[in-house]
Amino acid sequence: MIEKTRKEELKTGSLGEGRISNLTFINIVMIGVLVALFIVASLIVPNFFNINTVSNLIAQQAEIIIIGIGIAYLLISGYFDMSVGGIIAMAAVLCAYFSQENRGIEGLSSGLGMSYGVAAALTVLICSIIGLINAFLVVKMNIASVIATLATMALARGVALIVARGAQRNAGLPPEFKQIGQHTFFATINVAVLIMVILVIVALIIERKTVFGRRIFLIGANSEAARLSGIKVSREVSLLYIASSILAAITGIIMASKFNAGNAAFGTGYEFDALVVTVLGGTSIFGGFGSVTCVVVGAFILGILKTSVNMLGFQPDLQLVVSGVVIIIAILAQRYAINRRSG
Amino acid sequence: MRDYVLEIKGLVKDFPGVRAVNDVSFNIERNTVHCLVGENGAGKSTLIKILTGALERTDGTILLNGQEYVSNNPGEARKKGISTLFQELNVVDQLTVEENLTLGMEDTTFGFLRKSTKIKKMVEVLKEIEPSIDPKQKVKRLSVAKKQIVEIAKAVASESNIIIMDEPTASISESEIKRLFKIIRELKRNNVTVIYISHRLDEIFEIGDYVTVMRDGKHIATKPVAEMEDRSELIRMMIGKSIVESYIPKEAEEEDILLEVRNLSNEKLKNIAFNIKKGEVVGFYGLVGAGKTELARAIFGADRYSGEVIFKGKQLGSTPAKAIEAGIALVPEERRTQGIFTILTIRSNIPVMNMKKISNGGFVDAAKEKQVAIEYIDKLKIVTSGPEKETAKLSGGNQQKLVFAKCLFADSDLLILDEPTRGIDVGAKSEIYSIVRQLAEGGKSIMFLSSELPEILNLCDRIFLLFDGEIKAELINGPDIDSRKIIHIVTGGE
Amino acid sequence: MGRIIGRFSMKTTIKNVYVFSVLILIFVIFTSMSTKFIGAPNIVNILRQSVPLFLIGGAVTLVMISGHIDLSVGGILGLCSVVYSLAVKSGMSYFAAALLTVLLGTLVGFINGYLVMKLNIVPLIATLATMTLSIGVGKLLTPRGVGLIKQLPRGMEGFMRTSVLFGLPLAFYIAVIVVAVLVIIQKKTVLGKYAAAIGGNRTAAELSGINVIKNVWLMYVIVGFCSALAGIARTSYLHLGDPGTGQGMEMDAMIVVVLGGTHFFGGEGSVWRTMIGVLVLMSLTAGMQVAGVPPYWQYSIRGAVLIFALLVDIAVKERIVD
Repeated sequence: MIEKTRKEELKTGSLGEGRISNLTFINIVMIGVLVALFIVASLIVPNFFNINTVSNLIAQQAEIIIIGIGIAYLLISGYFDMSVGGIIAMAAVLCAYFSQENRGIEGLSSGLGMSYGVAAALTVLICSIIGLINAFLVVKMNIASVIATLATMALARGVALIVARGAQRNAGLPPEFKQIGQHTFFATINVAVLIMVILVIVALIIERKTVFGRRIFLIGANSEAARLSGIKVSREVSLLYIASSILAAITGIIMASKFNAGNAAFGTGYEFDALVVTVLGGTSIFGGFGSVTCVVVGAFILGILKTSVNMLGFQPDLQLVVSGVVIIIAILAQRYAINRRSG
Repeated sequence: MRDYVLEIKGLVKDFPGVRAVNDVSFNIERNTVHCLVGENGAGKSTLIKILTGALERTDGTILLNGQEYVSNNPGEARKKGISTLFQELNVVDQLTVEENLTLGMEDTTFGFLRKSTKIKKMVEVLKEIEPSIDPKQKVKRLSVAKKQIVEIAKAVASESNIIIMDEPTASISESEIKRLFKIIRELKRNNVTVIYISHRLDEIFEIGDYVTVMRDGKHIATKPVAEMEDRSELIRMMIGKSIVESYIPKEAEEEDILLEVRNLSNEKLKNIAFNIKKGEVVGFYGLVGAGKTELARAIFGADRYSGEVIFKGKQLGSTPAKAIEAGIALVPEERRTQGIFTILTIRSNIPVMNMKKISNGGFVDAAKEKQVAIEYIDKLKIVTSGPEKETAKLSGGNQQKLVFAKCLFADSDLLILDEPTRGIDVGAKSEIYSIVRQLAEGGKSIMFLSSELPEILNLCDRIFLLFDGEIKAELINGPDIDSRKIIHIVTGGE
Repeated sequence: MGRIIGRFSMKTTIKNVYVFSVLILIFVIFTSMSTKFIGAPNIVNILRQSVPLFLIGGAVTLVMISGHIDLSVGGILGLCSVVYSLAVKSGMSYFAAALLTVLLGTLVGFINGYLVMKLNIVPLIATLATMTLSIGVGKLLTPRGVGLIKQLPRGMEGFMRTSVLFGLPLAFYIAVIVVAVLVIIQKKTVLGKYAAAIGGNRTAAELSGINVIKNVWLMYVIVGFCSALAGIARTSYLHLGDPGTGQGMEMDAMIVVVLGGTHFFGGEGSVWRTMIGVLVLMSLTAGMQVAGVPPYWQYSIRGAVLIFALLVDIAVKERIVD
């Protein structure tokens, strides 16, 4: 019964199987880097290892992680979404405009007077149209996703600028408006962090446990093979673009709440930041390889670095330099690690 | 003393874990057509890559015109007189014919392109070979064969004394092949040595002066073609052992029609009509370019068409997803680009076409998935250390078995196999044949498209002959089938 | 359709006609709103404000023809704005300051080329990193809390504001010369031909013995050089050193390149048509002012124009086979 033993061998992994996958490997390495960084920062940076610093650090990552989920999913399936920064601004401004008290006058101080829940829901709905446009341009018209979504980014921020008349809307907002961003449970842990945690967990379950999650990886690994295997590639990618725009809308609503205002400048450059943390965490830009954990880990690595730079008394502008350098090092180091592993 | 243009001595190339070229020595005589044959994985392409400078040799010497020869890249090889026509055409569609001819060899003054006699000479060379190509037109508009001619002209005009042709006839028509051979004979007269690689053995007897056989990285023999008895001697040398396959006629005839195609037409296909019965293996034979892949893709819903495709009594939807749902699976022609997900594991490749079977309410049952993976690895004898291996690391034959596993798991009633044995070794080939037989015995219907007649004759119950997008004949397979007539039809004869 | 007309393909002809038509249409529309639009002061203003984009758009066209992108142009522009201001303020002659700035921009372009071609980091991420770095370094060079270099010497703005000929400043004529050189590079030199070959079929280019790495690297260096010149022009115009002044420039560059009919996956394109694209974008911007549209409308209009240009590119590509 030779065959039977082979089957047994396959099951028990006695054929040399049992090594962890490259993705798990990179995840572990990056989590290791994160932990090491945290320890180093705690030792070197005065007052770093302190409940306020740490809770601030967590609260600060909420927005980038939420949009990062959409960015990571799209990257895994082989596409870019640069429109999220614009959508954040659009959502923030629209949400403010919808829930501002209706004073019956033209101007920045008067809105539509909707209840906050309705305003937020409507905002999400409208912002998902941008996702729909992205899907149309990228999936239907086959336009390079970087360029197409840069265009819709401008479109979305343009809407924000028009509605906020180039400034911001902050007058006559209902008291509920600032709850999500400002109501804290513990230190600076607020509702936004809670939303982030829930979304990350849901995203992880989708990624690891569902058929939909599997399809994202299959499409990214080989979209033609995916199509010929019966996966509705256009539909799935469209869904991802819409999901990404909804996540960006939620982020926009959170930011508006945090600052109690809808500002057209919100989210500037966030599409780049989210891309940087996702890649920093180990997601491949070539598709088929990555995870939401990469976003979380990447965000915290960059967060710790930036906080440390600040707390050590350097100019805050040094943060930009740090993130530029770190992303290059991270890409090279991860590539080196994977190549060495494969031998 | 013979005049050798190229002398290869003790050539060795090691890859991690494999010796791809193992102490190979042979000489190539000047102004001859020297054929290089061997099964896939025999080491031919590695050898060629060393010659062109795409790979570095581990050991050994190469003498070009008696001088030690080293090349670090194809550009350098060309400067030293060795040009290569690769299988994937290497012309730039967006440039004109003239611009392609001079690409990489422009005459310049401070970086400025100069109208020189070189261009004129190159255009003349091209005109001689193929007068119908306008040098000012964009290459995009040329047929595959004409693009190839542009490449040949480029090689000739750059005064190469050796031109390597890697499967140059793979995707051109019969008449174009004839013209290519004429060009090759002309090259010989003009002081050019051709190293010719092909899987089509007939071509070797037609065009070759010498043939070198390689097997498992080793040099088996170099002989004048004239001294070769016949193809079977060549095949024996290539394979080492001979495998006998023969068609076993079907005993019982099923009459349930599973698939009925009427009037199917599109850009490539004209009025295709046929049917496939339950448990039947139906072959579609035709040369490359006859429309086999197009037919497979149209029925599977991957390409557009007009006409009727009735499957199990109902008109079939026109997307792959609908075809799979209805019970059809496709083993596509291009394994790596269309069949498998190379960066993913075997485990995640296998269930792709039928995720429902390993999931509940949209959630993947990981234990079941692993069990399925192991079952199919075992069933198809895929050589791997386990289900978590990246598919990129499997050999060609095992990757193809994986594509089969994927399709078998879909549990379809009809399998469309498009060139299922292309580029895989003999062992894997015969395993695939036996899978096909088993499936047919189990009541599955098979649509088998191939450009290799022997396998069609070995496996199929009925055979349709395709030429230029049309079905030219339908034959019932049996001992008295006339393969000469078949060749006559698929090459355009009446 | 689809026939070759003389030496020009149908597609090229259509692309030429279309970009021009859009430009003319814009002029007709805004002139009908206000005849001032076609007046010399407005034209001079449009041309003058186009200078940075002429330079950057022209260089980026080359990179995009070769199938690559460069997002760092705005970052380089910002960094160079700061460095040029500092240099001038420190008492250097304009020429020496400009030379220093151009060297710096070229260096950043060199780094881009190194990251993309030598280290094989995808252009999007590599140039994003250098963009961030450039802006970061630019900001670090400004006084803490101010973020700008102010109180620049009088006369510095002359480069962009003092008329040399026909009401146009020196910077404009320098840009014209640089762009002319870029057009020649694209049309008449091996570098231009190689850009198309690399963007069209990189493997074929490599197998033809073209040093792909060196050539694309050189294109990135050219972009760095041109971005630095653009930075000097912008600084002179604003009379201010501002690390953030290049924000959105990567997008404007992409808009004008795509408007000019350069395919976004590379292989074909034209520097001079990009220049028409620049004029379209800049006259649209100026026209909006004439028409009294508030400045905050600019952003969405840019987005819409880019989408329009992309869809036209697709339509031309699909309908006309050349």
